[in-house]
Amino acid sequence: MAKGTSILYLFAVAVVGQALTPSTFLTTVDRDRLRSVFEAAQPFTDAANAHYSILGLKLLGATIAKEQEVCKSVTSSVDTNSVASWFHASTAAKALSNCKLAPGSAQKLLGDAISQDSSVADIYFSFFALKNLGLTVDNGKVTAALTEALKKDDSPMSHGFAFNIVSEIGGADVNRYFDLIEDIVAQADEVDDKYLQYEGGLFVTASVVEGAYKLSAKANKAPVISQDKVLKFANYLLSRKHVHQLKSAYKLLAAVSILTTNKYHIPVAVTLASPVSVSQSKPTVQVRVSNIMGGSLGKMTVTADSAKNLGDQSVVISKKPFKATSDDALFEMDFMANKPSSGFYNVAISVAPAKADSRLLGVTGASVTVKVTTQVSLENVEIGVADRDQVVAPKPTRVQHPGRVGAALEADFHQKVIMKFLLKDKMSGSAFPAHQTFVRLTNAESKQEIIFNVGSSAKDFGYKSGKYSLELVIGDAVIENPIAWNLADLQLTFPAAPGKAEKQDQYAKKPEIKHLFREPEKRPSQTVSMAFTLLVLVPFAVLFLCWMKVGVNISNFPFSVSAIGFHVCLAAVFGLYYCYWTHLNMFQTLRYLGLLGVPTFIFGNRMLRRVKSRHRAQEVQRSMNGSNSV
Amino acid sequence: MPEKLTGVIAKFYDEYYNSTSKRLKIIDAYLFYIFLTGVFQFGYCALVGTFPFNSFLSGFISSVGSFVIAVCLRLQVNPQNKSDFIGISPERAFADFIFANLILHLMNETEKYSWAL
Repeated sequence: MAKGTSILYLFAVAVVGQALTPSTFLTTVDRDRLRSVFEAAQPFTDAANAHYSILGLKLLGATIAKEQEVCKSVTSSVDTNSVASWFHASTAAKALSNCKLAPGSAQKLLGDAISQDSSVADIYFSFFALKNLGLTVDNGKVTAALTEALKKDDSPMSHGFAFNIVSEIGGADVNRYFDLIEDIVAQADEVDDKYLQYEGGLFVTASVVEGAYKLSAKANKAPVISQDKVLKFANYLLSRKHVHQLKSAYKLLAAVSILTTNKYHIPVAVTLASPVSVSQSKPTVQVRVSNIMGGSLGKMTVTADSAKNLGDQSVVISKKPFKATSDDALFEMDFMANKPSSGFYNVAISVAPAKADSRLLGVTGASVTVKVTTQVSLENVEIGVADRDQVVAPKPTRVQHPGRVGAALEADFHQKVIMKFLLKDKMSGSAFPAHQTFVRLTNAESKQEIIFNVGSSAKDFGYKSGKYSLELVIGDAVIENPIAWNLADLQLTFPAAPGKAEKQDQYAKKPEIKHLFREPEKRPSQTVSMAFTLLVLVPFAVLFLCWMKVGVNISNFPFSVSAIGFHVCLAAVFGLYYCYWTHLNMFQTLRYLGLLGVPTFIFGNRMLRRVKSRHRAQEVQRSMNGSNSV
Repeated sequence: MPEKLTGVIAKFYDEYYNSTSKRLKIIDAYLFYIFLTGVFQFGYCALVGTFPFNSFLSGFISSVGSFVIAVCLRLQVNPQNKSDFIGISPERAFADFIFANLILHLMNETEKYSWAL
């Protein structure tokens, strides 16, 4: 049980290690590119550019042309009111030989910038500007201000600045800040299990790494950063080596160089120095073992722990040493000695320095990928025409690879063309399953191509009869000699094309969508409607008949203005209602009704008053008559 | 039996004819007229169909509404109900009748918008 866990544990370490050892470094090309980034900044327009460019070039070991002119442009570019400008200019001037930057009034400005309220960046700028200018610095004040500033802003960037300042001041604070390194490193974000970076990117990450190692050097203790974290930082920095921003490029270079020169951790980069493909004719695999700047790490023994086929997982090499070459950093091996089959291989590599060096990180589990390529041959190629229901062509024609069938084969739509071939790996002699195997038929006139993926079928000739050339195409990532072989001509006859479906233009105008009202229901015939209309009017006549029978006294109608006006108005109101039903809307109707309502009311009121008074008079008379008769 | 029924009806009619005031008879004739109109409209709807449904609704509701209002008028005008409607003279009742009719028909014609429902 315990044994099983330890094996698992070893395996896990191996897997993690495999992913972590940097597989790239700053090559000559990268260094030239960075150099061109730095040189492009000249002539300097501001102090910051000068600072990053000059220090970057120095780190690359390049010389600075026309130093005196550069010096002049640096000293003249200082913005005397800006702390940052003083910092950049003084750092640049210090890096140049024989370049003196006159401090002027800087002492007061920079001294004042170090206070309890300053930001970490300002303290950093002021402190180093004062140092560079050879002015007096109150270290106690700096550390006090720094402690205050870090309380307000405890970001990794601030700590990066702080580490740099403290490593310069030294003293009792070194250990306190040294202990912070572990915390700050723990704040880094991991990406893909391979990179470690801070929010803010390259500049922040590089600043923290640089500061941490400077501080460790001052404290004379190895920083508490685990090996895989160092490797992940290195991987991140190297992944950003194509940076074009001046500031970041300088910081990248500074961090990478401190990862090659410090006393504690030096990541090893194992890279493939020969082309990826290995074959019988080029059997050598070369690896370069270097620090991440590309520098040699001294004498080494380099061993290929294993080489595993990525396809079938077979292991073809184990514990085979690489041979040293005349170049200290370059090691080589004959990969084809064991006759590996074609395919992709992952070679796990471990390195061991001749003189034990605990600084080196990532010495085991580095890996490079190579592919073994091979040549293939086509054999037993047969082509023939058979009827549809036959399985084998009656008389197949044999053909050898570069040659071709003389006469064109003829086939019509009742027949089929059968082609057989055998693809062999020349080295092992076994059948080779290529990734890409096609048969391509090209119409001689229209150049229309029809491609058959071998193993599937297609019927896409578009009923185009005529002469086709038949081509066999074979390709694979591990084949050295891909084949495109025009082996025969075909005369194909198809039935007449059925009516071709009109090709639809999806952007064509669609028929207009018209609003459809609901179909009106069937109306009854007009006679029925008319009959009922009359029928509904009949009661009106009945009404009059009844009234006549009852004996309505029409002559009693009071022909006064109010009575006539009332009836006219009432008729008008109902006339208005009719108009409302036919064409007016409600608001118009209400307006007219309001106008009509007033006279109707007045007339009606007066009329009824009058009727009432008359009734009363009649009643009085009647009662008088009654009393008389009594 | 039938003779008896006709006798009852004749008696009923005579009684009505002789003992009802002229004013009420006029209103009754009006009620009868509205009743007949409503019956014919309903007959049309039952026999032919409701197709212009808003027309049917408006006509039929108009009949029913008019009938109800006329019945109200009749109640208020009837001297036998005088004790129930103290202070409401026949003229006042008639004015209410006219007003109610105006409102009824105005609202009823709003039925023309019923297609929007």
